[in-house]
Amino acid sequence: MIINIYTLIMLFVALVSLCLGGFLFYATLKMLLRFEPTAALETKSKFEQKGYLIFLLACVILSVRMLAWPWFYFMLQSFVPEVPGAMCMFGVTQILPSTVTFLQIIKPVSFFIMGGWLLCYYVDKSTPTAPLARLNLFFLLLVCGVLLADSITDVYYVLRMKPLMSVSCCATFFDVPLRPSAMIPQAIFGRHFQKILFVLYYLTNIILIALLFLLLSQKWLLFTALSRKIVVYSMAIVGVVNIPIVIYTHIENIVPRLMQLPYHHCIYCFMGRGVVPDAPIILGLFAVGTFAVGWMGILRVLCLNAETQHVTEHLLKKVNGLSAFCLLASLMMVTIHLIFT
Amino acid sequence: MTKKFLIALIIIIVVAFIGVAYQKFVRSPPCAFDGSAVTPIYEVEIVLKDRSVKKFCSIYCAVQWFKNNHHLIDHVIVTDEIRGNKIDSYMAYFVESGLVTDETNDNRIHAFQQRQDALTHAEKFHGVMADDPFTMDE
Repeated sequence: MIINIYTLIMLFVALVSLCLGGFLFYATLKMLLRFEPTAALETKSKFEQKGYLIFLLACVILSVRMLAWPWFYFMLQSFVPEVPGAMCMFGVTQILPSTVTFLQIIKPVSFFIMGGWLLCYYVDKSTPTAPLARLNLFFLLLVCGVLLADSITDVYYVLRMKPLMSVSCCATFFDVPLRPSAMIPQAIFGRHFQKILFVLYYLTNIILIALLFLLLSQKWLLFTALSRKIVVYSMAIVGVVNIPIVIYTHIENIVPRLMQLPYHHCIYCFMGRGVVPDAPIILGLFAVGTFAVGWMGILRVLCLNAETQHVTEHLLKKVNGLSAFCLLASLMMVTIHLIFT
Repeated sequence: MTKKFLIALIIIIVVAFIGVAYQKFVRSPPCAFDGSAVTPIYEVEIVLKDRSVKKFCSIYCAVQWFKNNHHLIDHVIVTDEIRGNKIDSYMAYFVESGLVTDETNDNRIHAFQQRQDALTHAEKFHGVMADDPFTMDE
C-alpha cells in the first residue's frame, strides 16, 4: 500500500461507505419486503420515520461516493512519482490493470446511477403523498449493489497497490500507429479519419446543445406529442453517439493540439500533468453534461406520472439547463484553447 | 437564457483564457520529444535552421528527435552537469555511465564542459567516454 493523504482519504471513504452501504442494502431490502401501499396510521408513521432515515443515509453516502470518482484520479496522479517508469497516470494503471480498468468503468457508472437516484428521490420528497417510495427503494437496491462493488474494489486496490514493478511510458501505448483510438475510427471513416472526427465532434455537440435549448424554449410547448417524442429520442441517441466521438476526438485531435505535442495522444497526460491546467474542468463539464442527458431520461421514464408531473417537469427543466450549460461550456473551452493556444 | 446561466458561462470563458495565458506565458515549454518537464541541469536545446529552438529533457530524447530531423538542425546546445553552463555539443565531453538522469527513458549519457569533470564522473559511476551523439554525417 502506498500511504499518502489521497490513499488515506480514499480508504476511509471506501470503508465508511462499505459499512453504511451494507447496512443500507439490508435496511432497504427489509423495508421493501414489509412495504404495504395501504397501512394503519400507527404503522404508517413508524414506516415513514424509518424510510426517512434510510433515504437520509442514502443521500449522504451517495453524495460522498459521487466525489470518489474525481478523487480516484487525484489518487492515481499522486502515485506517479512512486511507480518506477511512470510519467503519468497511464503508468500507474499498468499495476493491477484489471482492477484499475474495472474501477475506471464502475466509477462513472456509479456516478450516473447515484445522480439518477438522488433526482428521483428529490421528486418523491417534493410530492406530499410520496408516490415513488417503492420505486425508489427498488432503485436504491440497485444503487447499493453498485456502491458496494465500487467500495470493495476501492479497498482492494488501495491495499494491494505496491509500486514493485517498472512500468512503460504512455507513449508506448498512445503514440504507436496501431493505437486503438486511431484504428477504430480509421476502420469506420478511412484514412482521413482525424478531420472527419473533428467535424463530427462539433456537429454532434452543436446538435445536442441545440436540442437541449429547444427543450428549454417556450416553442417547445407548441410541439405536438409525437414531435416532442421524436426530439427527446433523437436527443438521447445524439447524446449516446456523442460519447465515443468526443473521446476519440479528444485523443486523436484535441489532446495533442492543446498540449502542443503533435505526436502525443495520452489523455492521462492531458488530465493530470498540468500541461493544460483547465483540462479536468473541460472533461468534467462534458461528463456532467452527458450524464445530465441520461438523468433526464431516468426522470422521464421513472418519475413522470399524474401526481409528480409538476415537480418532475420543473426538475427536468433544471437538469436540462445544467446539461446545456455543461456541454456548451466544455465546447467553448476547447474552442478557445484551439484558437488561442 | 437566464442571468445565472450567462454569468456562469462568462466565468467558464475567463477560466479558459486563464488556462491559455498560463500555457503561453507562465509554463516553461515541455520536452519536445516526450512532453515531460525539463530539468534545467539536463536541458538540451536544438537550434533549427530557421533559428527556432526545441528543448529536451535529456540527451536521449534529443538524440531520438535529432535522428529523424537532422536535415532541419543548425546546432545543438547541451548543459554542463557540473556548472549548468550552456555549451555547443561539439565542445562538450560525453560520458555513458551507470547514473540514470531520467528513469522514464533510462538516459545514461552525461555532458560536461571540462574533460576532467567527465573523467571524474566516469570513474565514479563506472562509465566510459562517448562520442558526440549529435554529429552530423556530411
